[in-house]
Amino acid sequence: MTLWIAFSLLTVLAALAVLVPLARAGRGAATAAALHDAEVYKSQLAEVDRDLDRGLISQEAAQAARTEIARRLIAADREAQRDSGTAPAAADAAAKGGATRLRLVQAAALVMVPLAAVGAYVVYGSPDLPDLPLSARLEDPAQGRSLPDLVARVERHLADNPEDGRGWDVVAPVYMRMGRPQDAAAAYARAIRLLGSDVRRETDRGEALVVANNGIVSAEAHAAFERAVAMDAKAVKPRFFLALALTQENRKDEAIAAWQSLLADAQGGEAWAEAVRMELAKLGVETPAPAAADVAGPSREQIEAAEELSTDDRQQMIRSMVDGLDARLAADGGSAQEWMQLMRALDVLGERERLRQVIARAGEALKDDPTAAAGIRDLARELGEGS
Amino acid sequence: MIIEIGHFALILAFVLSALQSVVPVWGAVTSDRRLMAVAPPVAGMQFLLVGIAFAALMQAYMVSDFSVVNVIENSHSAKPTLYKITGVWGNHEGSLLLWVLILVLFGALVAAFGRNIPMELKAATLGVQGWVTAAFLLFMLSTSNPFVRASPAPMEGNDLNPILQDIGLAVHPPLLYVGYVGFSIVFSFAIAALILGRVDAAWARWVRPWTLLAWVFLTLGIAMGSYWAYYELGWGGYWFWDPVENASFMPWLAGTALLHSAIVMEKRGALKVWTVLLAILTFSLSLLGTFLVRSGVLTSVHAFATDPARGTFILGILVLFIGGSLALYAWRAPLLKQGGLFAPVSREGALVLNNLLLTVATAAVLVGTLYPLVLEVLTGEKISVGPPFFNLTFGPLMIPLLMAMPFGPFLAWKRGDLAAVGQRLYAVAGLALVAILVSAWWQGTDRVPAALGVGLAVWVICAAVAEILSRARFGDVGLSTGLARLVGLPKSAWGTAFGHAGIGLTLLGVVAVSAFQEEKVLTIRPGESVEIADYTLNFSGLARRTGPNYVDDVGHFDIYREGRQVAVADPAKRLYTARQMPTTEAGIVTFGLSQVYVSIGEVHSDGGADIRLYHKPLVTLIWIGCLVMSFGGVLSLFDRRLRVGAPKPARRKMAAAGQGGD
Repeated sequence: MTLWIAFSLLTVLAALAVLVPLARAGRGAATAAALHDAEVYKSQLAEVDRDLDRGLISQEAAQAARTEIARRLIAADREAQRDSGTAPAAADAAAKGGATRLRLVQAAALVMVPLAAVGAYVVYGSPDLPDLPLSARLEDPAQGRSLPDLVARVERHLADNPEDGRGWDVVAPVYMRMGRPQDAAAAYARAIRLLGSDVRRETDRGEALVVANNGIVSAEAHAAFERAVAMDAKAVKPRFFLALALTQENRKDEAIAAWQSLLADAQGGEAWAEAVRMELAKLGVETPAPAAADVAGPSREQIEAAEELSTDDRQQMIRSMVDGLDARLAADGGSAQEWMQLMRALDVLGERERLRQVIARAGEALKDDPTAAAGIRDLARELGEGS
Repeated sequence: MIIEIGHFALILAFVLSALQSVVPVWGAVTSDRRLMAVAPPVAGMQFLLVGIAFAALMQAYMVSDFSVVNVIENSHSAKPTLYKITGVWGNHEGSLLLWVLILVLFGALVAAFGRNIPMELKAATLGVQGWVTAAFLLFMLSTSNPFVRASPAPMEGNDLNPILQDIGLAVHPPLLYVGYVGFSIVFSFAIAALILGRVDAAWARWVRPWTLLAWVFLTLGIAMGSYWAYYELGWGGYWFWDPVENASFMPWLAGTALLHSAIVMEKRGALKVWTVLLAILTFSLSLLGTFLVRSGVLTSVHAFATDPARGTFILGILVLFIGGSLALYAWRAPLLKQGGLFAPVSREGALVLNNLLLTVATAAVLVGTLYPLVLEVLTGEKISVGPPFFNLTFGPLMIPLLMAMPFGPFLAWKRGDLAAVGQRLYAVAGLALVAILVSAWWQGTDRVPAALGVGLAVWVICAAVAEILSRARFGDVGLSTGLARLVGLPKSAWGTAFGHAGIGLTLLGVVAVSAFQEEKVLTIRPGESVEIADYTLNFSGLARRTGPNYVDDVGHFDIYREGRQVAVADPAKRLYTARQMPTTEAGIVTFGLSQVYVSIGEVHSDGGADIRLYHKPLVTLIWIGCLVMSFGGVLSLFDRRLRVGAPKPARRKMAAAGQGGD
């Protein structure tokens, strides 16, 4: 409301800037221009006299200047007299059209100015958006809950405390999810420098480098994976990428051996095992189909880590897991249990819109399995999204 | 709310400018006092409204309101407050708003201070100013609106281009824009004269001060931009003949010509039609510069926009205003009365020569700037014209101009005596000759062009001094009266002297730097030292330093002369973290008028660094000359007399006096 009062005030001022001079100026034609000229020349004559008095110009120069000005003055006077003969006629003509012109301009000021301004503002403006000074937003806890905002806060914190290894460690996987693998790799590198090397950091750093490099395992990433394997010979992810590197280098036999040794460690049902089979298939090696899958919940370590974190960080961690699950389901599909897990998580996070989308997608994905589809429908009803 | 009020004020300003475009001009052609009376208050109101809009945008930058897209794109919460403010015009939309703010400021100034201007002329002038304002506000609102909002708002912005995070951004664009846009009011005066079909005495009276005002600011703006490039870009150049620099230089050249032709018109009533044309051309060149910078046809630090829609729109404005005004000129100029006859050898004649050379020089710069662009559009071939072209075209045009310059102020109006003036310049010519011989002897005879350049500069500077001394007539009236006369001289006479001397100083700086500078490019390790000119620089290593939104590697050099430490220099290589963009911060130490300039290139892992090292003799004169020139302009601006020029009787006696005054 205040906003529109301010707009009205400005508009009234603008209209007055037109209307007041219209009302106050006298009627009729302006003074003949030649008279103005004569005035300028007369003041010039006075100026010459003053200069002469102050001794700035010589007697001869003053005389010459006077002659020159007088010549122009006479010409201007003559013109003014000629004009005065036609002036009354011009004044009449001006007065005749004057009333119409006045009405038109008044109407423009009263109607066109407000209409055009408000009309254009309604098209271009955003009257509903309040000002959002950063300081106020940072103090307001309701603001800035979204992922990019959280990241911005962490970044601000890290800019001030670049030696905070834990901070880098927290922000790195988030960068990965936000599609900023380069930043993620840099953040992991700092975390490793400050907190020391371990299997997860080395592996994730390598992964970030691979993603940043469009899927190619670079020498730097390779070294990171090898460090990880040196620390834990059974670690799956680094071995996966090392096998991928062999494939990319066209070292077929070594690659097949590496993939098969990975597959030998699979319990069955891991998402990566399917990928390994596909890689092997590409290399011309057939493998048996996987056994039925169980739903993998968060591991114990993940839950413990979540308990250690602050509310914001925990929210962030849940989100990261939800996003991961969502992405996997979107890309590879999954069981009814996995779809339901995602739905429950979204319900907890209060992301209703996304929940509705996920329900629709689950129904679509599981439409060939009536039991599973029914289970999804039941849960949807339970979560208040039944149709 | 503040942002939205700013947005609404901007829209309202556009609506008013549309009204302003029609009503006063209509009143002027129908001699209707009431309609004409609308012009000044509406001009003032537009200034108020655009001012509100500008203040609102600035407020959004100061509080880092990232709900404004323009702020997101060009600011960062960690940026120092000064750069938050200057960031307002460090981008396309914001600088356009500054452009329009200055446009309406000039309208408001004419409305407020133009009491002596005849009503018709004032109304028509403000009406034409309304056309320009309306065109640019429409451009801004439809393609470059700074008040577009983002929802949801991000928590951080993208930061300002690091090269622009400098005190230079606080000074250079506002000065330059006052200059550029200031010529708009002269343009409006010219178009108004064409509409009304008469150039009256008041027109002649008012064009010169407005031109001067714009010219002073343009001079300072260009000089500041040149110094900024010199210390920020890290390789010691001060003028690159970059198309964007040329875009500001062309209006300056045309504006300088206009300044001089306006003198003839004011004093003698001659050259009216030519002055009107120059006024149109000068502002047209300003518009051309705006087009080059904002259309995306150029890539440089100045090129803001690469959006073709904007380019097309500005091209439209350009064609409309330049084409329209020239067509109006062709149609209406024959109505204007020519005045004042003069002999070829006279003050007027000298000023015509000045105009001739300056306009040809402008044309040369124009060709050199546009030819590569046109060629690229037509054939897709990319060529770079570069300094050699300009040295071959612009340089030779300046030589006769500068050689003739000292004669002008000595010549009498209407008919002059060249021989008599020559006599009075003997002593100055002698001094110039001595300067040539001394510099040839000092720097070796293989540098004859440089020695001649020094001589030309000395000729120009000494002639300016001689002219002002001869006006005091010390030989005739004795020392004390002479001094009194010197003080009492019209300010415009002092203005001329300072303006011309300033050109000479700048020329001296340019010649000295291009001919006598020393340059070294080398890799230096901590503890090593390097010698240049009379100085020894000791490098003690690099240190890492953290700024508000950057980190930099600062090198430390102790500078010795004849074994004594005389200064230190701390050049830096800076990395702006938000944009991951490096910049160089040159270390510059001034000794008298000369400078030692160090800038750091690549930093090596062993603590060494590649450096560029220069000794630049008399380099500061380049910018000091510009300051002196501008000071001359300011003096002349405050000469509020109603000036008139008339031929004086023969002055053989005074000729002798002039020589005595040298």
